[in-house]
Amino acid sequence: MIRKTLILTLLLALAITGCAPASTPTEAPAPVATEISATEAPATEAPAATDGSTFTDDMGREITLAGNPERIVSLAPSTTEILFAVGAGDQVVGRDEFSDYPEEVKALPSIGGSFGEYNVEAIVALNPDLVIAAEINTPELVKQLEDLGVTVYYLGNPTTLEEMYGKLETVAELTGHDVSELVSSLQARVAAVDEKIMPLSARPNVFYEIDASDPSKPYTYGPGTFGDLLITRAGGTNVGSVSTDAYPQLSLEQIVIANPSIIVLGDSMWGVTPESVLERAGWESIEAVKSKQIFPIDDNLISRPGPRLVDGLEALAKILHPDVFK
Amino acid sequence: MKPKPYLSSFFLLLIAFILSLAIGSVFISPVELWKILRGLGNETFTFIIWQIRLPRTVLVALTGAALSGSGAAYQGLFRNPLADPFLIGVASGAGLGAVIAMSIQWPYSFWGLMAIPMSAFIAALITVFIVYFLARVGQTIPTTNLILAGVAFSSFATSLTSFLMLRSTSEVRRALGWLLGGASQAGWTAILAILPYIIIGLGILLINGHRFNLLQFGDDQAQQLGLNVTRTKTILLIAASLATAAAVAFSGIIGFIGLVVPHILRLWFGGDYRRLIPLSIIGGASALLFSDVVARIVLAPQEIPVGIITSLVGAPFFLWVLRTAKNQGYW
Repeated sequence: MIRKTLILTLLLALAITGCAPASTPTEAPAPVATEISATEAPATEAPAATDGSTFTDDMGREITLAGNPERIVSLAPSTTEILFAVGAGDQVVGRDEFSDYPEEVKALPSIGGSFGEYNVEAIVALNPDLVIAAEINTPELVKQLEDLGVTVYYLGNPTTLEEMYGKLETVAELTGHDVSELVSSLQARVAAVDEKIMPLSARPNVFYEIDASDPSKPYTYGPGTFGDLLITRAGGTNVGSVSTDAYPQLSLEQIVIANPSIIVLGDSMWGVTPESVLERAGWESIEAVKSKQIFPIDDNLISRPGPRLVDGLEALAKILHPDVFK
Repeated sequence: MKPKPYLSSFFLLLIAFILSLAIGSVFISPVELWKILRGLGNETFTFIIWQIRLPRTVLVALTGAALSGSGAAYQGLFRNPLADPFLIGVASGAGLGAVIAMSIQWPYSFWGLMAIPMSAFIAALITVFIVYFLARVGQTIPTTNLILAGVAFSSFATSLTSFLMLRSTSEVRRALGWLLGGASQAGWTAILAILPYIIIGLGILLINGHRFNLLQFGDDQAQQLGLNVTRTKTILLIAASLATAAAVAFSGIIGFIGLVVPHILRLWFGGDYRRLIPLSIIGGASALLFSDVVARIVLAPQEIPVGIITSLVGAPFFLWVLRTAKNQGYW
């Protein structure tokens, strides 16, 4: 009886403290965090540098940067590629597990990312003055970093090549660089492809294979993805565009009916070879298999929303219209 | 030597707590921890401890305590060694609620970010209510009916969840991460949000130890011994489910803790629920803390979802305990 009363009283006391209005433990980090970042005074001068510039990211959040960030952490491979492309490679101090281009990023410390879990402690320990998140990162992660006093810029994914140029310009502005030359050259390369594709009347059916672990139900790119966009722009017809999903799983029947004349292996980086496709049961009747028009491609050029999409476009154009693109 | 269960349990919890605070991207020794506690520590370390590791440690401990306490309660309620806190659908309900919430683009605000844990919590409770009313026969709630209704509804909710995950491919990674269980992205807000429910839920379970013992005799016998079986079962079910739903809301589905920890404690200290429930609560906190530490160091700097570790490590450990336990016929 006494024990029950004791337990009940203890619980009541705990419950009362638990139900107390949330005092602001989340505001405490601010003074400590600004002290930490104040020791990292940005040293370099760069063309677009302004003190105390405010930016609005793609989640509507406002962030302020005092000068050019010198300790940037990237949370996605596409962001890393964009950072290095705009010339901010020296300002990057940390990257996620999957960033692998350009070669030098592999030497940078990894802050996690596989299994969807990021090592927040590692990110904070790097003392970043800017963390760039991508759509692949959750809002919860952004909030958690924000609460810890880290400046986070959320960079949404572009859906067209023009939007991608816009993202390059945004990151250039954030980091204090000028990308007008890069954007012009990218636009020129795309225009060159467009020019050669336009007079052609043939738009071969293309099947882009993302994954065929189950050869009777492979995955491909559907409408709304860059894969679909680039295939069309490179002068082909994407078999996957008949679906309404972004990453549809087509049945072998649908592929046989569509009868693509070219198969592009996006899963070649996982070891799938054109020879293995020739041996698949039920694929023999497909035009591409009969004429052995099966080509591997680096899927990172198609799936990562960064400047290498133009490389992907050119690679696809070479595959689809080899006579026009030497 | 007479085993002192409470002493050893608290001691183990203390060790687990210290380990969880010490281990991370940088090892902070207990000496350093003591300095930080008194406010004399290194600035960066103090920040890491108070803002990152301490909230995570407390959340993990609370989650483990809730899962294990309600696991012991479910095992007592259902008199079934396979019972765990997810038996009557809390996990699948929470998963469904979370995935439904994830397919909506919430605004980036306090409530927008609370939407997913709140949906998970509410969906878990709704599931329990539905299963409860499905299983009810007149004035009684036969245990078998509860289990069957729970299993059936769980399958239903799980397949709906899978379907939704396949439909919104952009959110699959996020949904999977949540379903595998991970206590990292939360902080003090999460702790304050779930604390009242866990305290109420576990509190009710704690003071009903002897009623659990009575229930072990079977519904009829317990009724004849003076227990209002239906009312007791209802209250205990709600309490256990409340604690589980709160634990799952922010941490996702972490299996094995609720199943294995009460069993191990039962093998070591016997099946008296007046002792088993509090010991499960403490033991569950320790177990999950240890698992979380392992999840952080095994593939550093990469963190594995803690749900994977609990299953991987929990199963062999449990089998070892089962083989070496003296009281074999305990159940």
